[in-house]
Amino acid sequence: MRKVLLMLAAVAFAFGGAHAFTLTVSQGSDIVTLDPHRTNDQPSARVMRQVYDTLVIQTEELELLPGLAVSWTQLDEATWDFELRSGVTFHNGDPLTASDVAFSLNRLLDPATGAPGRFVVSRITSVEAVDDMTVRIITDGPFAPLLAHLSHNVASILSESVVTAAGEDYGTRVVVGTGPFEFVSWEVQSQLVLDRFEAYWGETALAERVVFRPITEGTVRAIELEAGAIDIAYDLEPRDALRMENRPDVVMAPVTLLSMQYVGFNAQKEPFDDVRVRQAINHAVDAETIVDVIYEGFGFPSAGPIGPNVFGYNDDLEPYAFDPERARQLLDEAGLGGGFSTVIWTNDNPLRIQIAEIMQAQLAEVGVSADIQVLEWSTYLDDTAAGLHDMFILGWGTVTADADYGLYALFHSSQFGSPGNRSFWGDDRVDELLDAGRRTIDPDERLAIYAEAQELIVEGAPWLFLNTSIANNATRDTISGFVPHPTGSHFLRGVSKN
Amino acid sequence: MLLIPILFGVTVIVFGIMVLTPGDPAILMLGENAPQEDLAALRERLGLNEPVYVQYGIWLARIVQLDFGRSIRSGRPVTDEITARLPATVELALLATLLAIAVGVPLGVISATRPNSAVDHTATVVAFTGLAMPVFWQGLIMILLFALVLGWFPPSGRLGGWEYYVLPTITLGTSAIAAITRMTRATMLETLSQDYVRTARSKGVRERSITYRHALRNAMIPIVTVIGLQFGALLSGAVITETIFSWPGIGRLAIDAIRSKDFPVVQGVVMVFALMYAFVNLVTDVLYAYLDPRLKTRYS
Repeated sequence: MRKVLLMLAAVAFAFGGAHAFTLTVSQGSDIVTLDPHRTNDQPSARVMRQVYDTLVIQTEELELLPGLAVSWTQLDEATWDFELRSGVTFHNGDPLTASDVAFSLNRLLDPATGAPGRFVVSRITSVEAVDDMTVRIITDGPFAPLLAHLSHNVASILSESVVTAAGEDYGTRVVVGTGPFEFVSWEVQSQLVLDRFEAYWGETALAERVVFRPITEGTVRAIELEAGAIDIAYDLEPRDALRMENRPDVVMAPVTLLSMQYVGFNAQKEPFDDVRVRQAINHAVDAETIVDVIYEGFGFPSAGPIGPNVFGYNDDLEPYAFDPERARQLLDEAGLGGGFSTVIWTNDNPLRIQIAEIMQAQLAEVGVSADIQVLEWSTYLDDTAAGLHDMFILGWGTVTADADYGLYALFHSSQFGSPGNRSFWGDDRVDELLDAGRRTIDPDERLAIYAEAQELIVEGAPWLFLNTSIANNATRDTISGFVPHPTGSHFLRGVSKN
Repeated sequence: MLLIPILFGVTVIVFGIMVLTPGDPAILMLGENAPQEDLAALRERLGLNEPVYVQYGIWLARIVQLDFGRSIRSGRPVTDEITARLPATVELALLATLLAIAVGVPLGVISATRPNSAVDHTATVVAFTGLAMPVFWQGLIMILLFALVLGWFPPSGRLGGWEYYVLPTITLGTSAIAAITRMTRATMLETLSQDYVRTARSKGVRERSITYRHALRNAMIPIVTVIGLQFGALLSGAVITETIFSWPGIGRLAIDAIRSKDFPVVQGVVMVFALMYAFVNLVTDVLYAYLDPRLKTRYS
């Protein structure tokens, strides 16, 4: 079988007019490891995307398509059977079996593994191989967004025999997947090389080789692209992106991210326990200015808690208008006409500090005097989880592109503190809706459920809704077929170079 | 022999600092989305639930057997993490130091032999500019000019060829050039006013010979000290240069490890830094003996 595929690939290569080329891609950091159960960082995920497959694939349009699973059936509300694709081989030539799938997901789920991405599948209670080609997954209750979760990088399928044999060396010295590219070498902080996997189950990749180069300095990454030393640069900084837009030999490939920036209030602490105060601050701060000044216009103000790329987004939401007059009026109604003092917390992220400074100035206009306090990252997370804050600036990435992931942990009253609801705000009806969204399979019903939930959340204003950002990727004009993925983990199989 | 207590002391201090500064490696790895039970499981796996002195004891017991452990972040052996980066750092520090000697010593000598001349003033301005220029800014300007506008060298990386070394070497070497030039000038000025120099002059020895054979050799001891210190600093303090030029050196490893509280890696790197400093000091001492035969006779 493998021989036949190789021959077919050779024929396609000979007649397809394709030429051998290497694609050089640069991102801001090096990988940590290519073991999806040891890390959940973006740079590693972007390489793993090329090396591994998942049962379900989420396209750039966020459509869920069959990946290593060709079909799935739901036996009851919590039990799913996945039928595996036949003829799939790992890079070492071993065939993919149901036991590899069960092994991979169980390893991810096992608390002893300590996988940073375990939370993605934590609703799963059991994974077992029913026969060679069928996997049964049982969740701890109805869980509609399961498919989106299984498309996440951390749910990549590994080879049981390879992982077991490699032990601690898996992911850094030994890496084997079923994806369109296979691991060749990794020179730490220098370059990581992948070669096309000729026996790939789908269409083979166009590039013969992909080289990932970590270039930390954003400006240097941009210069490398301008100089033609790299073909694709991920995540250009706004200033460099502005410069790049005027270059004829560079093509911008921006993408609206699934992540969201917000300022959380402590809804159980005075004066933020009063909805009028929270609404007033939403009116007092101009998110447009923040986007223009800090993100050089690369992004847009948010109307609600999730971005337009997320399934379930309610595009009828009205954003809070920048209206200091209305803000003053609301504060007056709340008995705070004379203003009050508060503290804005942020971690040492320079952009967030700038956001805090803009907020400070705008809040002063409505009589609110805000101090800014910068905290070290893990202290920041600990103390906001403990509810010690007034206001804090944070982001949230809806990594599965499903509203459940973007809303449940952040607004369900069972999730106070470190699970995600750091604003300690709850609403019975919102709880009901978020629970229903998990139970309901029908997509249209889910849309209606989440639309209502978002309206209530915007009205309750546990957050100051700030902005959704745009990631500025760019390619040389010789590159075609690069479609950035909203999760930031771009597929490179279909990218070609002239 | 003093090396072992020094290394021990260094690891205790570093461990203490790591423990006293806030930050939980588990949260840093799992991020803000992590459920409590996952954090607990990871802490257990990393051995973070043990008391601090037990954690240190376990680490020390391993080190005695030359087992540096594995990075808690990547799972790679610490020795791999370090050996993957050490060559890049040593190469760059050596080249930058050689460049600094090749430029700094002659420049200092010329300045000293013609004090207050145009050459001297120019050398002074060059030296102070080199000292004052932020490495970050200089690196970017060099990349813009020599890589993007002129296209002579690749902008960044260490991917083979000599051309990758030029810009980072100059960037890293600049401040060392300045330091060596100033020190050479000062000590040469002092040496040139010594009696034996006047004697040599009165005997009719050629000026060139006086400068290089008589004066410079005697002026070398403080200069060698500065070179040694500079080299040590370049070995461990090239983080900014490494970052700008995407150079896979050990300085960035140290910073990344500190940020993610990757304790085994931090300890490993610190021990390597301490060893390198000790080694550079040893070489400097040996050079003293070579330069000043009186030292050799005193200790032999």
